[in-house]
Amino acid sequence: MELMALLGVYSAVFFTLAIYTILYRENPWYRFAESVFLGLAVGYQVALDMKYVRDQWAGQWSSSSIMMVGYVLAILISLLWYFRFTKQYFYLYRWPLAIIVGTGIGAALRTVIFAQFTTQIIAQAKLNLWVPTDLMKTFNNIMLFIMVPCVVLYFWFTGSYRDSGPMKIIDKVARYTMMAGFGAGFGYTILTRYSMFIGRAQYLLGITPNPPEAVPAFIIFALIMLATMIGYDLMQRNKKPST
Amino acid sequence: MSSFFDKFENIDRRWIYLLSWIFVLFPLIFPLGLPVPINKESQAWFKAINDIPNGSVIVFSPMFGTSGMPELFPMTLATMHQLWSKNVKIIVVSFWAEGPLVFQQLLNQMNPTAAPYNKVYGVDWIDLGYIPGSEPAMRAFGEDMKKAVAKDYKENKNLSEFPIMQNINKASDVSLVISIETGTPGLTEWLRQWQEPFRTPIIVGCIGVSAPGMAPFLQSGQLGALLPGLTSSAEYELLLNRKGLAIAGVDAVSMSHVLVVILVVLGNVGYFVNRGKKK
Amino acid sequence: MSNILRRIEIPIFLTIVATLLQVIPYYVDIPIINDTANTVNLWVLLVVAWATFIGPLSLMQVHGKTVQKRSKGWYFSVVVLVFTVVMSIAGLPIAEIGLGTKNAVYTWLFTYGQTPLSGTMYGIIAFFITSAAYRSFRAKNIEATIVLVAGLAMVMYNAPIFTATWPGFRTIGQWIYDIPNMATNRAVTIGAALGAIALAVRTLMGIERGYLRGGSD
Repeated sequence: MELMALLGVYSAVFFTLAIYTILYRENPWYRFAESVFLGLAVGYQVALDMKYVRDQWAGQWSSSSIMMVGYVLAILISLLWYFRFTKQYFYLYRWPLAIIVGTGIGAALRTVIFAQFTTQIIAQAKLNLWVPTDLMKTFNNIMLFIMVPCVVLYFWFTGSYRDSGPMKIIDKVARYTMMAGFGAGFGYTILTRYSMFIGRAQYLLGITPNPPEAVPAFIIFALIMLATMIGYDLMQRNKKPST
Repeated sequence: MSSFFDKFENIDRRWIYLLSWIFVLFPLIFPLGLPVPINKESQAWFKAINDIPNGSVIVFSPMFGTSGMPELFPMTLATMHQLWSKNVKIIVVSFWAEGPLVFQQLLNQMNPTAAPYNKVYGVDWIDLGYIPGSEPAMRAFGEDMKKAVAKDYKENKNLSEFPIMQNINKASDVSLVISIETGTPGLTEWLRQWQEPFRTPIIVGCIGVSAPGMAPFLQSGQLGALLPGLTSSAEYELLLNRKGLAIAGVDAVSMSHVLVVILVVLGNVGYFVNRGKKK
Repeated sequence: MSNILRRIEIPIFLTIVATLLQVIPYYVDIPIINDTANTVNLWVLLVVAWATFIGPLSLMQVHGKTVQKRSKGWYFSVVVLVFTVVMSIAGLPIAEIGLGTKNAVYTWLFTYGQTPLSGTMYGIIAFFITSAAYRSFRAKNIEATIVLVAGLAMVMYNAPIFTATWPGFRTIGQWIYDIPNMATNRAVTIGAALGAIALAVRTLMGIERGYLRGGSD
């Protein structure tokens, strides 16, 4: 393996273990790795955004003088973003922000009523409440038929009927449904988070296609970090005056 | 005896962390070869891609970054393997900044120009990189691809130079969108900007955390197939007969989940015994 | 003049125009409005991309002050600044001088820095969630019991060791996903759609101004 790649593997293992040291306690290894992460995470996107801007100039924006004016106008409006850092002209920052927010809201608004509302209502209405060949499906559809409106009504906060008897039953059904739903969410959250840990563990153990050079790095850095943290704690404990 | 049950309810968190390390590292170092049943989600995903007619145009969108790689990279590799094994045209585009960089890591492990795929860049597939802007960008790309993207990501040439883009310019020219995603922009944006206006079918591979939110769209038919998380990726690898990182990690998934179940049960045993004592 | 430019009505007007330019062409087929809307949509992508320097500049402002004042942990702020500047500059699309996403420094930092750090940062939550589940998942009442049972059922559904041992775990988990989970998320989806429409209408009417807050005025 070439030197820069080997250095890279050792760096990757170092950074991985440095972050995991937080499980023991807050320490300088973790703070260093966190600082590096912050710098890289903020810096990497500049490349991709600027590449897009540069490539766009090569496309339609240089095809005619009107389009060129439009491109220059985009840059001028974009400069207003950076008045965010001034107190006197902060209000200029709101102009490009307003355009972006309006565009985003408009893009969603055009089709949200169909994509997320009517289609879901139609799917709910199409539930077949009697499937003679499949009693389980019948039961499930009836459950859905009851549960979905209960949960929707649970979040309806206005109106005097909120305290009525039927609403209390609806609230109870809705709460039980949501609790089961949150339990499902918990189960999948465990899967995701452990999958991420397993991915890093596979790297530390050099499991193919990860580089096997990670294994000695893992052992070396793990020993160094554990020794420094535990050693420091022992030293601090020995320094404390006895009562 | 009571102090024994007290311990169940109050295990120090660092012992729990240590147990998590052991339960994950042990099956990775010593694979247990636990069985992996194949379930309907991975079968539906496999079938959805297998049934794509020859000559179709697919938009493949890696909408995840390095944080999602452990869970999504295996399914991305497996999906691209199945796609490149077919006679379809693939447009790779991302609305997530790290997407092209993650896809580059895929290309470091898979070479579509070599056997068994023998695909030609610019004819069979193209990488259009990242388009900033989230949902408006997805709308712009769906309305007019050549205006939304001027150059490809891999060779930095104008799109008009590539044969694959000759007859493809709108979402209506696309047969299927395959989105591998971790959050926003994601499925709901695809539904609003591609499926609703253009009726483009969509299938999604996602991290486990996103899976519960996809259920209504799966039931309504708006989502053609869903591949949630590492376990489903492992099943998919088995269906493709192509073992990768997902299968290598699924034993650790099993053992880590066993640990969680044991700890929660122990905690409740301790709680109920102590509660009985107090009464 | 600056008093006129400061008026909140200007950004509100811009928001309304931007929103209507997105919505109207979808429902009303007027070619000139369609073409204008499409061009403006592409133009907006440029404005979004140019905002990319806000992150690095904000970071430099905060951590620069820490370094300047030699506050506690100022040396870590130096690390933040160095990596922000190096990553931002190495990736700039100036291929003529070897910069860009294929630049060796940028690729190295992304592959061996950003990738492991990002994956580890999000993966560390596994430990915290295990500890939290152990401590807080108690069957104290009916609702807590339902969360506990459903949660454990889904954990067992996602682990092949359980579903291979007894297929009933798969059936139970699938039922929880397809029925109560689907019901909850369908209701949330419907509610979110109504909320999004309400927010959009409020924004169009100029009532919703939360996104314009900040600064001294």
